[in-house]
Amino acid sequence: MSEAKPGANGHGDAAEAAEHTAGHTAEHTAEVRMLAPAALRFAATEGGFLALTVTGGEKSEHYPRINAFRTFPLSDADRYLSLRDAGGKEIGILESLADLRSDQAALLRQELERRYFTPVIERVRSLKEEFGYSYWLVETDAGQRRFTVQSGKNNVTVVGERRLLIVDVDGNRFFVDDYHRLDRNMLKTVETLL
Amino acid sequence: MRLRYELPAAAAAALTEALDGHEASGSHVRYAVPADLTADGAFGDGWTVATDALVAVQAPGARGWRTLPLRQVGRFRADNMVGSGRLVAEPASNGTGGAAHEQILAHYSMSHAPRYATLARGLNLLLDGKRPTVDETPDEGVCPTCGRRREPGTRVCRACTNRAAMMRRLWALARGHLRWVVAAVALFAAFTLLSLLPPQLTRVLIDNHLVPRRPHLQPILLLVGALAVTYGLTALTDALRGRAMAQLSNALARDLRSMVYTNVQKLSLGYLGTRDAGDILNRVSKDTRNIQQFINFWLTDSVAQGLFLVGVAVILFLREWRLAVLVLAPLPVVVLLAGGVWGHVRFLFRRQERLFDKVDTLLQDILSGIRVVKAFGRERAEVGRFRARSGELREVMRANERTWANLVPLWSFVMRAGEFLVFAVGGYLVLGDRMKLGELVQFVQYAMLLYGPLVWIAGLPRRFAESMTAAERVFEVIDEQPSVADAARPRRLPIAGHVRFEEVVFGYQSHDPVLHEVSLEVAPGEMIGIVGHSGSGKSTLINLLMRLYDPDEGRIIVDGVDLRAIELRDLHRQLGVVLQETFLFAGSIAENIAYAQPGATPRQLIAAAKVAGAHDFICAFPDGYDTRVGERGQRLSGGERQRVAIARAVLHDPRILILDEATASVDTETEEVIQAGLFQLMKGRTTFAIAHRLSTLRHADRLLVLDKGRIAEVGSHAELMAAGGIYHGLVQSQRRMNRHHAL
Repeated sequence: MSEAKPGANGHGDAAEAAEHTAGHTAEHTAEVRMLAPAALRFAATEGGFLALTVTGGEKSEHYPRINAFRTFPLSDADRYLSLRDAGGKEIGILESLADLRSDQAALLRQELERRYFTPVIERVRSLKEEFGYSYWLVETDAGQRRFTVQSGKNNVTVVGERRLLIVDVDGNRFFVDDYHRLDRNMLKTVETLL
Repeated sequence: MRLRYELPAAAAAALTEALDGHEASGSHVRYAVPADLTADGAFGDGWTVATDALVAVQAPGARGWRTLPLRQVGRFRADNMVGSGRLVAEPASNGTGGAAHEQILAHYSMSHAPRYATLARGLNLLLDGKRPTVDETPDEGVCPTCGRRREPGTRVCRACTNRAAMMRRLWALARGHLRWVVAAVALFAAFTLLSLLPPQLTRVLIDNHLVPRRPHLQPILLLVGALAVTYGLTALTDALRGRAMAQLSNALARDLRSMVYTNVQKLSLGYLGTRDAGDILNRVSKDTRNIQQFINFWLTDSVAQGLFLVGVAVILFLREWRLAVLVLAPLPVVVLLAGGVWGHVRFLFRRQERLFDKVDTLLQDILSGIRVVKAFGRERAEVGRFRARSGELREVMRANERTWANLVPLWSFVMRAGEFLVFAVGGYLVLGDRMKLGELVQFVQYAMLLYGPLVWIAGLPRRFAESMTAAERVFEVIDEQPSVADAARPRRLPIAGHVRFEEVVFGYQSHDPVLHEVSLEVAPGEMIGIVGHSGSGKSTLINLLMRLYDPDEGRIIVDGVDLRAIELRDLHRQLGVVLQETFLFAGSIAENIAYAQPGATPRQLIAAAKVAGAHDFICAFPDGYDTRVGERGQRLSGGERQRVAIARAVLHDPRILILDEATASVDTETEEVIQAGLFQLMKGRTTFAIAHRLSTLRHADRLLVLDKGRIAEVGSHAELMAAGGIYHGLVQSQRRMNRHHAL
């Protein structure tokens, strides 16, 4: 998951270079560049990526491939989106996906949903726990899926009020929007997994 | 890892069609792995196939295959994101037409991320004109028998371990202490027989003497005396049995504990790294205690309780079978209820335990971070947070206690139901002269004796399962084979110090390599300085050289011998290590210096300490070399600890010396003192030194610059400065920092 945490694991030369020349350029890198929604033009590339042109200012900037990151993927998924170039350098932050025109928003949303692929579980068809693992068979908004979760390692956590984040043994992620709506037996099992 | 899946017939047919007539298709399929996501993020069944000449992709739901000749590709990349990944082809820079832009070939879920990482690596090897070896080891952490997941790093499936085999193993352990087993069982049998006596005596007393009102003192005293003696003997056998049991189970637990501990020491870091120290501690202490209880419970209690149950039942039925039936009438209810009640109670306690853990964690957090809490003036907020958590716990505990308080009396009431029935019917029989009073009393006494074993049996499955799980967990550690292990016929080798890395690839998780194709040759006695940004793979390189892990690909050769062929003990005897964080064991300074050489003479110790520059400060301690250090001992400063560690390495007299940030935690002045010691130590030994502070490495023969797991630059200080690359940049930025600090 080298791209998942751009700052944390030092992905991207730019971030690292900045870190190592700290002191000199501190003022420059500490600045948060908020991107004006009207100045952004997203486009799908032929290869399946997302390109971005930032207009306005003296000259427009073109990025043939960008990566989009959620800064609050759990608590506020569609706000404060960090857009970065192919090398990992931050272009700037978009405050809210909702500020974009709908076709533009759809392009960016698709990119975000690919990166943070987390199907929402709509129905738990079977769930059983034994020998330190729970075995799930679920219907999600992305289709049916069978997966295994290791117990007792914070792999099932409550996010916010009633949303459940589940991480399986391979690192796949799933949401349950309101786990109190699970049926009684499932709820009991889930309670013991938390 | 499975890398060559069998394609479904339809997909295979379509692939043949797509490859048919394709120029240079390279018919041999090297890789065939699932692509289980669509571009829009839906699950599906797609495939990615690679031959020597091309990559073919069938998107989920599509019929046709899309092909891409390898010669149009510059590099392949497996982009692992959050919850999914994608295989990307970067265009060839020479511009041979075709793919001019970077393109996504396939989307996959994290279940296949390791496969795609290997696939991308293999494809890149093909691009370089090399032949990748496709390693199809079946083990993916899944039990081949039942398909259940196994705990990471283990090869034992907890579901498939044979219960009978487990019992045999426990029995094999117990057999070593057969004397005590026999004693315990015999004493238990005696105890059981003795407890069956008093109701008999009571009956004779009532029916022959009390009811007929025969005031003959002698037989009455005799009977009462017999009762007293029986009770006395019962108490005595019980005490003796307890002692035998304690002897037996403690001996067994000791055997188990030392077996676990011995094996944990042998296991590689790869295994230990995937578990918490707490988990292993638990296995050594808690699980072995659990087994100990089980042996108590199973080996002897079961024999005794079984005997008891059968004995009492036989007596009851022989006496008066109708009453016996009445006594046993509530039995099914009792057993059923016990099962249901236990399920619920376990759930309640499980929830309580979890909340308890949370409160505990919070408390620990606040206590260990108390300086931060106070510095930021957050005391009140933290108190509030804690109060909220413990309020939650109080609610759950109150609910649980309430349930408990209702349950226990109800439970004993149901259990007693048989007794009421016996009294009702028995009283009727006595009044109608069809039964004697003493017989009834005896009957009731036996009936009450019956319920103990019955409840015991109701709880049996649960306790049995618990103990079996504990036994599995313990035997699992005992059975675990270290993944870094000696070869079948390991070699012993006096090491001269020639080291060669040959295209070493390694990742702590195989799909996320930390080192990529690292190749390096080091002459005996050479000092290599390793530099690079944090996370560039410096310590990993050292870990591989110490053989704490084995490389995923490539090899490390020492004096012409693969590291894996050298006996581990022999290797470690000839490696010396000084780490940034020096661990001093509880004990004296002398013991710490002599850690790897327990027989060292005082003269050797002093000589080693002198080389390390430690002798003078040790002499100044009131207790000299006998000064106690470690957890409860004297506090040494960072520099002092470091010098003790260097003395340890000097005494060890290694052929290859490893310094991992050995002087990072001390100030510059102390560093100079230590450097002098280290310089003495390095003479004539192959040395690998990692340091952030670049001035530390000024004596290095060559510097190795690592960048994102690859060797970026190699050369002397002067050469690298002249080249103006990463090293040059690092030196410049440190100089700036120093100037900054100097101001």
